Amino acid sequence: MLAIEADTLRRTYTSRTGWPRSRRTETEAVRGVTFEVKPGELFGLLGPNGAGKTTTIKMLNTLLLPTSGTARVFGHDVARDPVAVRRRIGYVFGGDRGLYDRLSALDNLRYFAELYGVAARDQKRRIAELLDLVGLVGREKERVEGYSRGMRQRLHIARGLLHHPDVLFLDEPSIGVDPVAARDLRRTVADLAAAGTTVLLTTHYMAEADELCDRIAVIAGGRIRALGTPGSLKSRVGDRDVLDIEAYGAGDEVIDRVRRVPGVRGASVEDRGAVQTVSVQTDRGAELHAPVLAAFDGVRLGRVVSREPSLEDAYIAIVEEAAGSAAPEGVPA
Amino acid sequence: MFRFRCRSLGFRFHAFSRLLVVGGAISYRALFNWTTPPMFIGTLLVGPLLQVFFFVFLGRELGVADDRFHLVGNAVLAASASCVYGGTMAVANERRYGTLGAVLLSPRHRVPLWLGRALPYVLNGLFVSAFVLTAAALVLGLPVSAGALPGLGLVLLVAAGACSAFGLALGALGLRFRDVFLVSNVASSVLLLLTGAAVPRGTLPGWMRTAGDLLPLTHAADAARGLTAGGGLDGRLLGAELAVGAGWGLLAVVLLAAFERGSRRRATLDTM
Amino acid sequence: MIRVLRLIGVGVRTHVSYMSRSPIEITFAVLVPLVYATLAVYLFRAAGDPDRLLTASVGAGLMGIWGSVLFGSGGAVQNQRWLGTLETLVVAPTPLALVLLPITLATAVIGTYAMGATVLWGVLLFGVPLDFAHPLLFLVAVPVCVLALGMMGLLLAATFVLLRNANALANPLDTPVWLLSGLLVPVTVLPAWTHPVSWALPTTWGARAVHAATSGGDVITPLLTAAALGAGYALAAVLVLGRVERRARAAATLALA
Repeated sequence: MLAIEADTLRRTYTSRTGWPRSRRTETEAVRGVTFEVKPGELFGLLGPNGAGKTTTIKMLNTLLLPTSGTARVFGHDVARDPVAVRRRIGYVFGGDRGLYDRLSALDNLRYFAELYGVAARDQKRRIAELLDLVGLVGREKERVEGYSRGMRQRLHIARGLLHHPDVLFLDEPSIGVDPVAARDLRRTVADLAAAGTTVLLTTHYMAEADELCDRIAVIAGGRIRALGTPGSLKSRVGDRDVLDIEAYGAGDEVIDRVRRVPGVRGASVEDRGAVQTVSVQTDRGAELHAPVLAAFDGVRLGRVVSREPSLEDAYIAIVEEAAGSAAPEGVPA
Repeated sequence: MFRFRCRSLGFRFHAFSRLLVVGGAISYRALFNWTTPPMFIGTLLVGPLLQVFFFVFLGRELGVADDRFHLVGNAVLAASASCVYGGTMAVANERRYGTLGAVLLSPRHRVPLWLGRALPYVLNGLFVSAFVLTAAALVLGLPVSAGALPGLGLVLLVAAGACSAFGLALGALGLRFRDVFLVSNVASSVLLLLTGAAVPRGTLPGWMRTAGDLLPLTHAADAARGLTAGGGLDGRLLGAELAVGAGWGLLAVVLLAAFERGSRRRATLDTM
Repeated sequence: MIRVLRLIGVGVRTHVSYMSRSPIEITFAVLVPLVYATLAVYLFRAAGDPDRLLTASVGAGLMGIWGSVLFGSGGAVQNQRWLGTLETLVVAPTPLALVLLPITLATAVIGTYAMGATVLWGVLLFGVPLDFAHPLLFLVAVPVCVLALGMMGLLLAATFVLLRNANALANPLDTPVWLLSGLLVPVTVLPAWTHPVSWALPTTWGARAVHAATSGGDVITPLLTAAALGAGYALAAVLVLGRVERRARAAATLALA
């Protein structure tokens, strides 16, 4: 049996604006998403802000009803049989909210253990196990309001795991977490998957997805634009080389000029203070060093490095392609 | 030279009034929690109206005071929901949205900045108390002569102004303390007790009467009662209300300046 | 059954300790009722009714309990939404009614602070004599009244799950319930058409029982009526919640953003 089956899931939000004559506006957040996740698999959902990742996760974890389409978690329909689904899933989201700040970690876990139906005689042992797993032993009696974001995030995970869920939904768990804490978090997630828990993860961090996920779906504009193993996604841009060029003050018109160089397949800019890193994707073996650098005409340049394409390059290529083809309307997260 | 100074003065006045009016209006929309129609109607119009009925019927049952006393007193008090909470939200919600730091970095003069914020609540309070007075008078059958209306309008305006100044002074505490809504909750129930909306002030002990004299709405409520009863506008009561309002306004400006300076020393801005 | 009781117990304990640590909740529960108590005592004195000062204090306490339940239950859902915990509560396999019931009971328990505070305030400041007609029955009547109010709160909370602006409904519901259920004084001058509304409110019967225990009269009948009405409200709340949760999932009103 499959852990998660999503079949042409769609979700439309209706909002009213204006008063007294209100106007209904409909926004399509998810427009027909289909995928399957096998038991024990670690599946990643990647996409830009507002792509429909959170909406998809909330339809799968029973918080939102699909406008159309169906989804099942271990055979239970998420719309018709939410309680059966809830017994088997854990849900963890990133950010500061979602905990009782004025209570201790222990009190938070005790309360949710009760709500998630952990048998009374097992609670003490289970809570101790989880505190150990997420490394909060010794701090569990302090109020959560004094916790750092990383500690809150670990407490969230402990809360989501209380009832031994078969499927864990992790919605951007590493958001705002420092690199060391994020590494610990990745290790915890990898251990869970190794122990047989199915994990559905959304994230913005490519390295995280590359390291953790068995398979990845890239979602943009409410549709899945690519689906496969990290390796297969990278091979989509495998016929390319990447030039990373450090530039100082390259404007939009310069980047457009670079894009128009014959043999260039795409270019993206990342600002890091005064210096920009311009990643230029070119056809493999095209040796476009000279024409690309010439297109920068007058802009001061730093280091130029040629490298193999990464998952991030693949992701950027997929999302840019989708942005080129999709309708230009905005979609909320 | 003279022309230049003149233009510069005109420009400064224009900038001042823009900050006062435009800044005030935007901050009202950004920071007042009750601007959505259901919240506005429920909290600011229906709630106070029902409170009028509560005290009128209670007054009838206990025979403490006549309908006019409770009706007018509570209608004037109705402005306090907008003015006290509005003044508090105008400062304290900045902290909630995390924008307080950005506002305090503004190089603009603080007096128009903060007074502009109180301005929408004055109009809001005036509207609310006029609505509650009209609706309650119609439902309960309290006759008010047309000749009293201009005077009543003036009294309600001064009352709303004084109460907004009071609210802003409470809001100033928001620069210093986290849970300022606690203060506004207590303050609005204290207003109910001490301004004589619920209990005739003659029956209260002396120190409570004195405290009531120093609070907004007390004198305005008395003036409004006199007007609805057919008496003329009592200039002394109106003056007293104006003086009370000016006093709270001054205190608000002083507190805001003092707490702003203190906040840099104590680093109390960023903590939620 | 034992699991349900345990769940309610743990839930009430969790939420009572959470609310007890919030200065806002404590203000609502203690300081504001003290103002009501002062107001009630002076009103009763002005009315030439100095013998019924204990009734005034107890009445102010009831007003405080209702305020706490109303804002607590209305706010319960809104607060969980702000905290971001509403979604984790809904995702739990426990029925939503059993999740919300402990929250509303907790607000009622916090509300009983009000009763203690107003009675103590009356004794200390105004020398109100503690001459309860039925002191033991008073100690029974207050918890039953609180329980009945908690059930009413549950029904409110159930409807509030759907509304993002739940407070808009909660704010004006304060005084009419004081008035209609005769929390401070039984209001006999109210028009006749309001009587059926009063009878349908558990607060009316709870207040009647508490007042009877204070100043004499039949306590048991109104007490049982309050309990029965409270149970009815709880049942209605469970039925409503079944539908409400599905609608909330369709309308996407569980999260803040």
